[in-house]
Amino acid sequence: MAPPAQSQRSASPSQPSGKGEVSDLKSQLRQLAGSRAPGVDDSKRELFKKVISYMTIGVDVSSVFGEMVMCSATSDIVLKKMCYLYVGNYAKVNPDLALLTINFLQRDCKDEDPIIRGLALRSLCSLRVTNLVEYLVGPLGSGLKDNNSYVRMVAVIGVLKLYHISASTCIDADFPLTLKHLMLNDPDTQVVANCLSALQEIWSSEASMSEEASREREALLSKPIVYHLLNRIKEFSEWAQCLLLELVAKYVPSDSNDIFDIMNLLEDRLQHANGAVVLATVKVFLHLTLSMTDVHQQVYERIKAPLLTLVSSGSPEQSYAVLSHLHLLVMRAPFIFASDYKHFYCQYNEPSYVKKLKLEMLTAVANESNTYEIVTELCEYAANVDITIARESIRAVGKIALQQYDVNAIVDRLLQFLEMEKDYVTAEALVLVKDLLRKYPQWSHDCIAVVGSISTQNVQEPKAKAALIWMLGEYSQDMHDAPYILESLIENWDEEHSAEVSTYLFWGYGFIMKISSYKSKIGQFDILNQQYWLIYTVFGQVRLQLLTAVMKCFFKRPPETQNALGAALAAGLADFHQVGFHNVGLQDVHDRALFYYRLLQYNVSVAENVVNPPKQAVSVFADTQSSEIKDRIFDEFNSLSVVYQKPSYMFTDKEHRGPFEFSDELGNVSIGAESADNVVPANRVEANDKDLLLSTSEKEESRGPTHNGSAYSAPLYDSSSASISAANSLSELAISNPTSAGNASSSSLAIDDLLGLGLPATPAAAPAPASAPLPPPLKLNPKAVLDPGTFQQKWRQLGISFSQEFSMSPQGVAALTTPQALLKHMQGHSIHCIASGGQSPNFKFFFFAQKAEESSNYLVECVINTSSAKAQIKIKADDQSTSQAFSDIFQSALSKFTVS
Amino acid sequence: MPVAASAIYFLNLRGDVLINRLYRDDVGGNMVDAFRTHIMQTKELGTCPVRQIGGCSFFYMRISNVYIVIVVSSNANVACAFKFVVEAVALFKSYFGGAFDEDAIRNNFVLIYELLDEIMDFGYPQNLSPEILKLYITQEGVRSPFSSKPTDKPVPNATLQVTGAVGWRREGLVYKKNEVFLDIVESVNLLMSSKGSVLRCDVTGKILMKCFLSGMPDLKLGLNDKIGLEKESQLKSRPTKSGKTIELDDVTFHQCVNLTRFNSEKTVSFVPPDGEFELMNSRKYYTVLYFLGGCISFNFLVPDCLSERFRYRITEGVNLPFRVLPTIKELGRTRMEVNVKVKSVFGAKMFALGVVIKIPVPKQTAKTSFQVTSGRAKYNPAIDCLVWKIRKFPGQTEPTMSAEIELISTMAEKKSWTRPPIQMEFQVPMFTASGLRVRFLKVWEKSGYNTVEWVRYITKAGSYEIRC
Repeated sequence: MAPPAQSQRSASPSQPSGKGEVSDLKSQLRQLAGSRAPGVDDSKRELFKKVISYMTIGVDVSSVFGEMVMCSATSDIVLKKMCYLYVGNYAKVNPDLALLTINFLQRDCKDEDPIIRGLALRSLCSLRVTNLVEYLVGPLGSGLKDNNSYVRMVAVIGVLKLYHISASTCIDADFPLTLKHLMLNDPDTQVVANCLSALQEIWSSEASMSEEASREREALLSKPIVYHLLNRIKEFSEWAQCLLLELVAKYVPSDSNDIFDIMNLLEDRLQHANGAVVLATVKVFLHLTLSMTDVHQQVYERIKAPLLTLVSSGSPEQSYAVLSHLHLLVMRAPFIFASDYKHFYCQYNEPSYVKKLKLEMLTAVANESNTYEIVTELCEYAANVDITIARESIRAVGKIALQQYDVNAIVDRLLQFLEMEKDYVTAEALVLVKDLLRKYPQWSHDCIAVVGSISTQNVQEPKAKAALIWMLGEYSQDMHDAPYILESLIENWDEEHSAEVSTYLFWGYGFIMKISSYKSKIGQFDILNQQYWLIYTVFGQVRLQLLTAVMKCFFKRPPETQNALGAALAAGLADFHQVGFHNVGLQDVHDRALFYYRLLQYNVSVAENVVNPPKQAVSVFADTQSSEIKDRIFDEFNSLSVVYQKPSYMFTDKEHRGPFEFSDELGNVSIGAESADNVVPANRVEANDKDLLLSTSEKEESRGPTHNGSAYSAPLYDSSSASISAANSLSELAISNPTSAGNASSSSLAIDDLLGLGLPATPAAAPAPASAPLPPPLKLNPKAVLDPGTFQQKWRQLGISFSQEFSMSPQGVAALTTPQALLKHMQGHSIHCIASGGQSPNFKFFFFAQKAEESSNYLVECVINTSSAKAQIKIKADDQSTSQAFSDIFQSALSKFTVS
Repeated sequence: MPVAASAIYFLNLRGDVLINRLYRDDVGGNMVDAFRTHIMQTKELGTCPVRQIGGCSFFYMRISNVYIVIVVSSNANVACAFKFVVEAVALFKSYFGGAFDEDAIRNNFVLIYELLDEIMDFGYPQNLSPEILKLYITQEGVRSPFSSKPTDKPVPNATLQVTGAVGWRREGLVYKKNEVFLDIVESVNLLMSSKGSVLRCDVTGKILMKCFLSGMPDLKLGLNDKIGLEKESQLKSRPTKSGKTIELDDVTFHQCVNLTRFNSEKTVSFVPPDGEFELMNSRKYYTVLYFLGGCISFNFLVPDCLSERFRYRITEGVNLPFRVLPTIKELGRTRMEVNVKVKSVFGAKMFALGVVIKIPVPKQTAKTSFQVTSGRAKYNPAIDCLVWKIRKFPGQTEPTMSAEIELISTMAEKKSWTRPPIQMEFQVPMFTASGLRVRFLKVWEKSGYNTVEWVRYITKAGSYEIRC
């Protein structure tokens, strides 16, 4: 029977017709409830099906609960199952009615048919009603002892469900110990596997509360247990094998024999047909051999073939999952995969997410021997129908050029791109040529000839335009008509991009929403200002570049450029842009024009030194992802972290997801209605996602120089750097730039006031422990030492003993432009940093401290979001009783952190 | 935490919910709406199968006209989740008898709920084997075993098999005629440059087996793979017979093969299931998918895994069944001339079936005229391709097609047309691109019955692309 026609139209839960039908059903069910006529089961089945199909499409059928329960007295197992499904779905919202079902479920738990016993037990545990837990303990207890493995298997997961409903009931009934016993002794492997999952979950979450649990959690990783389970691995189902291998990957082997034993035992798992098992095995191999460099490399060689096989079999989604992991490995050890580059060639019909990963891998594995083939292949993709892929492949060529010493052939290719006369190809190629020239100034001659012939009419994208202008300024002596091109660009100063304003406004909307979500629920944040600010960054980059280029050109070819320079400075000084009824000045452009003007007035030769100093070639473009983050991702091999290319804390911890709460927001989304409320959250999610990406340092940015310009000596260049993506410069301006950081913090102060958070006026007034009846004040050892290995181990072992989020003082936020500043400050308070990272606005620190007299350690994870002025700390301590005291010390130390 | 799913949804292409199953409480109640608003109704759809929205991750897969969406809130195991979906779909198909689409789901939704209950519990995958589940989830036969005359007998048996270590083949199978069908199915992947050089080429093959064997038989399979033959000649201490040998690069096995024995004796023994299954999967190297089923032990020779560590996959030695020689000339702005010659390079007595050659042409194609020496050609504007079909294509022949194309002249068109590759589909029976042959297939059973063995070969086009 098909679900009713309703689902065809809309899944709205509040359809009147739905209601009518539901009351119909109700009366029909009532009639059948007491009937014992032959064939009654058939009609019940039809009715039950109807109920379930309504439930599926979201119609609320909870009102027939009573009738469903009455009808459940049946021997028909399918009817039973439908009834269980229904009860499981609605018990949570109807806890009182759920009580009605307890009776028949408990009776079924004693049925002589094990299938029915299992089903009833599963449904009983799925009720998820807190006040019914007392009824669960008995059936679960006997379920765990049942002589049928099916029932035991269900009961084990039932214990886990019980734990999630009421942890204390579960612990009090001593179920975890029973599970442990079952795990080690049960003949059935699925029971064992379920015990393992349940125990891992229970003990991990208990570990923070009780020491015994954390000991038990460690015990799961002990040699006897791991070996016991490993010896049975071949009996396990493929899914259970994944589970077990995940456990083994965490096991710390005692010596190298241990390592080889495990690897020998698991070697054949690499040939398993299930990709998940292979990946899990790969993880075990990689993690076991981390400390043995030679073997580790052999492991790479060994796992290569199975992984490549997996990539080419199965659905695109499956191969994407594997490819993401392969991508990670290729990035870690490109040389090992250098000869396999042909496996990363893209097929025409592959989805773009697969192609994108493949392009990155092709870029990574390029070396002297295969560059020619790879670049030839990449050039094929530049003509791809999919423009994103075409762009990516051009960037890939550029990246290879920047990696290689022998760039001869590549430069020719890039120049050919410029001649392809496709807007996006030209745009990408220009940006690349610019970066290339910064690294290899010796190629300027060849490049300039081609670049000079490009018509500025064909270059519309701001980034590309800025790149072109930079080259015009930098190489104006070699480009015959550079001054005239610049002049014509200056003539069009105002028209420039005006057509694109609206597009960029639209595009910028996402970022604005992002900003406002940082500032958290401030309602009507001054969005208009934000928009102008945005335009200004987009326009700014071209205009700033233009000013600098004209200046450079002026020093090289004064007579030809003089007019243009005058015009540019005048335009810059008068710079404003009209949007709607507002005149918005492009402040930076204005300021720079003024600066140049005064500089020239002051002394022309000084001006030349400032604008046109001798430049060193950039040797290395900064890597965008810190090695700490990369290692974290590697630790979390075979999980989502690898796919997202960021460690799990960035997407699972609440504080990292920002203030936007998904579930809350969902409640507001009215289904199907295209109301404005609906659109806004959508954008906000989008924006929120983007900011996460930004904070982890986006891949895409790696093609440009990094914003701090640390590798580049020209002082002016970095602020005018064209290749910083607009997005980046936006966040930059907003947050990390020291000059504007003050603004950001003051605005965040204002916002906090709006929210009524009432920041303490003086940071020193932050939580003082004085009022509480106290243990003796805690003293910390100023010269504490802890090596990173121990730290990591402890971090893993200890449970969180204290966790809090609090507001930072605006002064503190303003001072936090680099992690180093805070590190020094905290050291003054005997709190030492072991690792730090992140980019504005998200900083992350790991601190540790030791008690003055004993060697009791405190470990702190501190995440500071400068834009929301919030700090989130998690403290783990050897001695849990003093963690509160330590947290007070820590917070007061943090609150004293200001601009020094 | 290797949780594979907190919730599973099946949606049709419009976004209507066909099935929803919440396994855990850690995701909000109405994640479908999130999926609809943020993925289905945006351009995001299809750009990446894994997406994060808020704190939840969505994995989705399209299978015919259905989206299967998995929602998790933890750092889940992606590979496991996708594999689970694929296996679950295979399971549903085996229940529905083939198709898995919107209609099939609507017609079987109660059954699907039943199965979803069994195959995953609280987010952890349980048992997905159709062989076993079919023993106790029987939609048709619901009434017979339980309601009309409740018997205890099949049930304990079933539950034993649900969780047992070796419950994959029922005992006491009897067939009147004992037969084994062995199919070697290979698909050739080719990427050829416009200059005719092979950029990338490999063969993905699998061995499919259908057993109709009584009792608990034992099987031995010999292939002409290089290392296997060398091992054999070592054992028998006599030189390898000359003839083509195949080098297998990578071998993967299904779960039931006793791999310890494989590593020590280089033989694979296992118990296959009754009916059809995939034995080996190769990509110029062979993969053994072992099986839970009857009692057959496959004894066949495969390469030494340890030595594989330092060997790469070979792209040489692949027999390409077809060569395609295209010449495309653009004559001015509005005319094109396309000449394609296809050469079949397999034995003259063999023939290929269902050959389709798709030659891309520009979007603004107005008129086409063809001349073909074999088959039929026509212009398909939906995919912007000339489609040339040859139903039966004998070996050692080279039919040609020449076409003239008139284009609509467009004023704005200044870009040169980027040519997508020519794509080809075919099936060549009794031909293997890798050259793999079955040397023997022997069956033993204690009752000593005679068996009929059938071996078939077929080579299909995988992604067969020729740039032009």
